[in-house]
Amino acid sequence: MTQEKFRTDILIIGMGAAGQLAALYAYDANPDLKITIVTKALKGKGGCSRMVQGGLNVVLNDADSHDKHLMDTLKGGQYVNDQDLARTLVEQATPTIKEMETRFGCFFDRNPDGTIHQKPFAGQSFDRTVHKGDLTGIEMISRTTEQVMKRDIRVLEECRAVDLLTDASGKEVTGALLLDIKRGEFIAAEASATLVATGGGPTQYSFHAPGPEKSVDGLGMLYRAGVLLRDMEMIQFHPTGLIIPGSVVAGSLLEEGLRGAGAHLYNGDNERYMLKYDAAEERATRDVVSRSAFLEMLAGRECKEGGVQIDAAHMGADFVLTNFPGMAARCAQFGYDLARERVPISPTAHFVMGGAHIDIDCHASLDRLFVAGEDVGGVHGGNRLGGNGICESVVYGRQAGKSLAKFMASDTSTPSETKTGMIDELIKKYKEPLDRPKAGDVFKLRKQLQDCNWTNVGVVRNGKDMEKAVSEIAAIRAEGVKINVTGKKPYNMVWNTYIDFMNMLDVSDLVVSTALNRNESRASHYRSDFPKQDDDNGLFNNFVIRGDNGLLELHTKPVDFKYKSAEECRAHKK
Amino acid sequence: MSAGQGNTRKISIYRYDPTEGGDGHFDKYDLYIEDETNTTILDVLIRIQREQDSTLAFRYACRVNMCGSCGMVINGREGLACKTNVSDFPGKEKITIRPLNHFPVVKDLVVDMGPFFEKYEDCLPFFEPKEDREEPYVIRPDSVERTAIGLATECIACGCCVSSCTMVNYHDGYAGPAPLNRAFTLLMDSRDALYDQRLDRVMQSCYNCRTEFNCTEVCPKEISSTKSIKYIQRMAMKDPFKGKTEASEDGQAVSEGCKGCGNEETDSGRRNFLTKMTLGIGAFSTLAVGGVLATSFVGPSMKKQKAQWVSAGKLEDLPKDNVTTIALNYKEQIGFYEQDRVKPVLVWRKSDSDKLVVYDSRCTHLGCQVRWDKPRSLFLCACHGGSFELDGSVKAGPPPRSLDELEYRVENGNLLIAMV
Repeated sequence: MTQEKFRTDILIIGMGAAGQLAALYAYDANPDLKITIVTKALKGKGGCSRMVQGGLNVVLNDADSHDKHLMDTLKGGQYVNDQDLARTLVEQATPTIKEMETRFGCFFDRNPDGTIHQKPFAGQSFDRTVHKGDLTGIEMISRTTEQVMKRDIRVLEECRAVDLLTDASGKEVTGALLLDIKRGEFIAAEASATLVATGGGPTQYSFHAPGPEKSVDGLGMLYRAGVLLRDMEMIQFHPTGLIIPGSVVAGSLLEEGLRGAGAHLYNGDNERYMLKYDAAEERATRDVVSRSAFLEMLAGRECKEGGVQIDAAHMGADFVLTNFPGMAARCAQFGYDLARERVPISPTAHFVMGGAHIDIDCHASLDRLFVAGEDVGGVHGGNRLGGNGICESVVYGRQAGKSLAKFMASDTSTPSETKTGMIDELIKKYKEPLDRPKAGDVFKLRKQLQDCNWTNVGVVRNGKDMEKAVSEIAAIRAEGVKINVTGKKPYNMVWNTYIDFMNMLDVSDLVVSTALNRNESRASHYRSDFPKQDDDNGLFNNFVIRGDNGLLELHTKPVDFKYKSAEECRAHKK
Repeated sequence: MSAGQGNTRKISIYRYDPTEGGDGHFDKYDLYIEDETNTTILDVLIRIQREQDSTLAFRYACRVNMCGSCGMVINGREGLACKTNVSDFPGKEKITIRPLNHFPVVKDLVVDMGPFFEKYEDCLPFFEPKEDREEPYVIRPDSVERTAIGLATECIACGCCVSSCTMVNYHDGYAGPAPLNRAFTLLMDSRDALYDQRLDRVMQSCYNCRTEFNCTEVCPKEISSTKSIKYIQRMAMKDPFKGKTEASEDGQAVSEGCKGCGNEETDSGRRNFLTKMTLGIGAFSTLAVGGVLATSFVGPSMKKQKAQWVSAGKLEDLPKDNVTTIALNYKEQIGFYEQDRVKPVLVWRKSDSDKLVVYDSRCTHLGCQVRWDKPRSLFLCACHGGSFELDGSVKAGPPPRSLDELEYRVENGNLLIAMV
């Protein structure tokens, strides 16, 4: 049988906000471009953008400024951000969010006078979070998905990219190998330009906020293709993940706006513990609040459900039900009354700050490769502010779209051929588990990996445990390459879980290796063996790349304080 | 929080293997569930897949009611697997899970959403800005426009409403609840430029709704598509006879009315309608408003059809001084849905001239078919014994008035009859 394949001008992997906006802006710049979006889920239904609750940070008010938003972002990231990327984020957020309304039809919540409402979020010097109720992602992604439908943009649903394709030199990306999930068949997609915008979703931790179909696929693919990645030790744990014993819904979020509005946190001893950790109390940044909860839990001061508790009820039941109806409903489904009682929560793995090293036009380290959204590293430094995540996706989706169109217009060279034999080899690799004799269980193995990461490379880390994790991950991998996948090819969920799991393994390696290389505590990376932030030695970024020998190569570079000095960042008060 | 009780539940799941084909079957599983209040149907499926049968296929993504991937039919009712808890089915009730209705099955509980999105796209569900502008519009949250739209934009396109709708299967051309709901929110959106085109697209569809409220009942986001559809019918009623070419002028007026939302430009009828709509946003009144709208607006729409000239054959073929029954074949608009009709009419050709009288064959009592009884020279109705004279007047029985006469004209020897 000959290999199914197609050629397109622009291949976009992922259909969250970044992927969709890239497609829309590229198309609008040149409607003649052949643009193909591939998504692991149904169109517009996958990814974390749709799951966004709180909203997006954007400067719209004269009393606010891009400088303040930038300083908040750098302070939140504990100074190790890529300042070019952070600056573009805050400056371009303003026109981007306006265009979400004027071009794509979003309608965000309003003030009584009809202007756009902005609410308070943690770590911000101004109330600048634009939102639609407490389930903002639905409005954003529903509207942009419709815009994609409106245009002549091809969408392949339930068609996941499994690996990037490269030329013989390995320096140029020629497209991606896709797996059509419904049929269980592989398709080779070749493109003049490829955008990776799969989103992250650190579900390699046992307690996680993103849905389980998010599995750091993009980061895995980028690493295997030899793309330069940065800041991979920085994993954000969101402080308020709902505790629901035994349910897949466990770890899903109660949004940050609750803390922004004034919700309190209590430990099992009925103590508002945040008072002793940070002057900003519950409105401290996510890294601080998560770590504080985790330290309380480690000290045995956990509540009976195992974590800590959030008290929104003290703000009044009416206030909670009016402003957080989605959160109240989510709690109610599991018997919790958010408006009238405390609800058990725990830190939950939420976001990968690390990712591909790009410039502000989304060019990554290989030719013809662009990256946007959570697959990118550097925008948020060591910790992402609530409301800056979806902001990154839309801003850099827009940047990528414009940049892709520009690239296509100016590109005079001929795209290289995919390396001979590469497609066949990859297909063989991914099909192999279907043919293996019955052995192992990918769900159990994935759980083992998640527990290992949670315990050893989680909210609180130390050198010894992480060394242990290195060998444990290696052992899990050794077992992983032997297990089989049962069932036939069409819509085989176990097979997909296996591919997810392979991506998680690669990313787990990256996180632990870089975390071991930062002997200090900074932002979301907290080491109990180096509990202090060390600005004399810690103002650097970890860069990792897959070397020619297939082994991980790590190097560091000092932070480039291009616009704001370390002193300015330190002095900034939220 | 109430503590759940451990129970072993019987779960029956529809299975279909695309490589085998056929009709599919149900597989039965026993599953011990520790805490039913904390266990969703999605948890049940995930556990069965992990613990008992790894080949089971179902679709999900966000698992928190935001993406609309896990719509299925659970004990006969559509719902999201992630939003339905085992404790919703108390006691030892068996839990039966099957894929959504009206969708082709891909495998087990996974359906092909393609047909749904085709219809969705056909309703022009996308925003088209009226103008290039930099600044977002200033629109008050308590404006009539935004109050009417409310949370209807929160639809997550899960397909539950379409599965629950009895009319979707009945009419191929029916867009169904979710697409019409989205069309409604855009028709109300004063920023949008496609009012006329969109109304034109949904005109036919909006009258296929039979106001059963199934979609409203099952919607996991508590959106009433029934209500949205009734509002579209109301918009369409503003001038139901305008076709594609004529619609723009009037449509524009409605659209601008929206923009003015509550200002002086808004005509009183529209304001009344919008006032009703605002009331309808209240939790209790969706049913009441829907019902009112259904009777008062669907009803009249049936009567106000434009006449169409239907050929009844050659005039010379009709015997003089006689009544001939002719079956007319034509397409009728029911509401805005087109249907093939065969309708008998009674044509009395007088002896002295080419003058005709054409009667509608429906009895004016309850609409039964009357027939010409030549020996008695009467039109007779078999239902309740009504009879009419040759001139159409009532001779006996319950009919309240004479037979309805239909307009006719003769063109090049052909008889044409105006059908409504």
